Amino acid sequence: MPDNIYLPELARITHIKEEIGGERAIKTFRVEPVDGGIFEHDCGQCAMLSVFGRGEMMISIASSPLIREYKQFSIMRVGRVSATFHELEVGDVVGIRGPYGNSFPVDDWRGKNLVFIGGGVGLAPIWPVITTAVAQRADFKNITVFYGARSPRDLMYKAELERLRGDADIQLSVDKAEEGWKEYCGFVPANVLDKKPSPNNTIAITCGPPIMIKFVIQNLQKLGFADEQIYTTIENKMKCGLGKCGRCNVGKDYVCTKGPVYSWAELKELPEEY
Amino acid sequence: MEKILGKTQIDGWIAALSGYEILAPAVEDGIWAYKPVNGEVRLDHGNTTQPPKGLSFPQREVFFSFEQIKGEPPRLTQKLPDAPRRAVFGVRPCDGCGAVRMDKVFNDHVVDNYYQARRSNVAYVGLACNKPQGSNCFCLSVGGSPVSSEGMDVLMTDLGDRYFVAALTETGKALMAAGGKLFSEPAAADRKLLEQTHAEAVAHPQRAVNNLDTVPAKLKASFNSPLWEELARACIGCGVCTFLCPTCHCFDINDENTSASPLKGNRVRTWDNCQFPDFTMHTSGHNPRESLGSRLRQRVSHKFRYFPENFGMPQCTGCGRCITECSVGIDIVTVVNKVTEHAG
Repeated sequence: MPDNIYLPELARITHIKEEIGGERAIKTFRVEPVDGGIFEHDCGQCAMLSVFGRGEMMISIASSPLIREYKQFSIMRVGRVSATFHELEVGDVVGIRGPYGNSFPVDDWRGKNLVFIGGGVGLAPIWPVITTAVAQRADFKNITVFYGARSPRDLMYKAELERLRGDADIQLSVDKAEEGWKEYCGFVPANVLDKKPSPNNTIAITCGPPIMIKFVIQNLQKLGFADEQIYTTIENKMKCGLGKCGRCNVGKDYVCTKGPVYSWAELKELPEEY
Repeated sequence: MEKILGKTQIDGWIAALSGYEILAPAVEDGIWAYKPVNGEVRLDHGNTTQPPKGLSFPQREVFFSFEQIKGEPPRLTQKLPDAPRRAVFGVRPCDGCGAVRMDKVFNDHVVDNYYQARRSNVAYVGLACNKPQGSNCFCLSVGGSPVSSEGMDVLMTDLGDRYFVAALTETGKALMAAGGKLFSEPAAADRKLLEQTHAEAVAHPQRAVNNLDTVPAKLKASFNSPLWEELARACIGCGVCTFLCPTCHCFDINDENTSASPLKGNRVRTWDNCQFPDFTMHTSGHNPRESLGSRLRQRVSHKFRYFPENFGMPQCTGCGRCITECSVGIDIVTVVNKVTEHAG
């Protein structure tokens, strides 16, 4: 941790990819440190990004910790800072501080089957685990990725997902049928129930809209997953990232330090304040 | 170090404290607060309206400034606090306890360098309460005491025409040493009077939060109680309860721009408030604490359940300011007692 915990490092945007257009557009940004050094992170951790003059926002780091040259963020255009971020260009310099929060216990999962279940922009926070597991493919048994969005146009990381085929079983879905769509049509939780992943020696990792997470967990339980086998990552409004500004708490835990990663066994004990 | 100081000698002691900015209770526009001393020091007041927390955690402070000329990377300039050494006279025990709780928050996990830079330069010269300073005092029921030295560098007790002065830290000893011969050794009679004064202070009736130890479990059991909405209905969300609280530490961080082209501005920390609806509102519009009741529950649960779970002590020190200053009569003692009684 630096001496000045609120002073960001400077990072240059080196790559921008438009994932999804429309009202709630999603763009993926890669940033590299301006002066060489940048912090290391673990799967599931977040970073506070700054646009000077506009403010800060807490975003999940979407790249694997195995990638040292850059950090990747997939950002939906929703608020003041994210809208400004969407107007930035390659070469622009932003602020970054972190990493914040706990992480997915990936090392405990070696030798197991992994089932990832993502919805919408919720693929980004679990993407570091997916790509790390694929990069260390021999350490894990079956890897399955369920991912869905409203329509084919709303799916992010499409090319990257295609490249994972062979290493992972990729199960895509869209809420509404569209001409030419050959994969599952329906909500993500229904697709999971339909494909029946086995809970035997398996960890399920899910992230997406709260309503999706709720039904994913219900369906995983129907399939025989124990609460300890289900992991998710949650979000709350954050300002400091250091457990001091007081707003991201769920019960006694600040999500920025004790979270954002929880097993369902842990999360179900906390009040529903997220 | 324990000494006696004649009341008429206090100005002499303060004059001897070179290198310190001296603060003491002063009234301005009807509001008592800790202000730099200008002339005679008055300690015969009730408790201040504002606690001294702002000396370590100001209502607004600049973290750094930024400047960006088009085509160049931003330039950041740190604004680390350059706070003078301060000795604060007349701090009451509830506010000494408050400082201890603020220290827990800002030093937990990682040290907040801005808070610590100011805090390490603040010395508290406390004054014990010989009787409750207001009708809403309830320190005894939340683990405190009107004569507590928790968080103090020096604690003074009023013995009529003189103070019994006790140093509790190295800083406190140095402050007293600076007073030199103004202090005298306490006689046996002084010690006896001190003991008697403290015993009477503690025996004085106060309001009370009932059965503090059972409160966390009962608040947990009452999380979904309809009482929260009922008790919060009058709240106008002004936030005075937390702004005047000696332990409330929530803050916001924002950019304040002073020039659009070239871009210039400051990243600023300001006090924030769990009673404001947008405190927890996500960018999407979703709000985990949307209702008045959920926000009152947060304020009370933070003080009486979450903080005890995290730090082993309540985050409320019983000063009673949030009760006295609430314009709609929301009373934390009544709220805790009602909710916990309801929980059975």
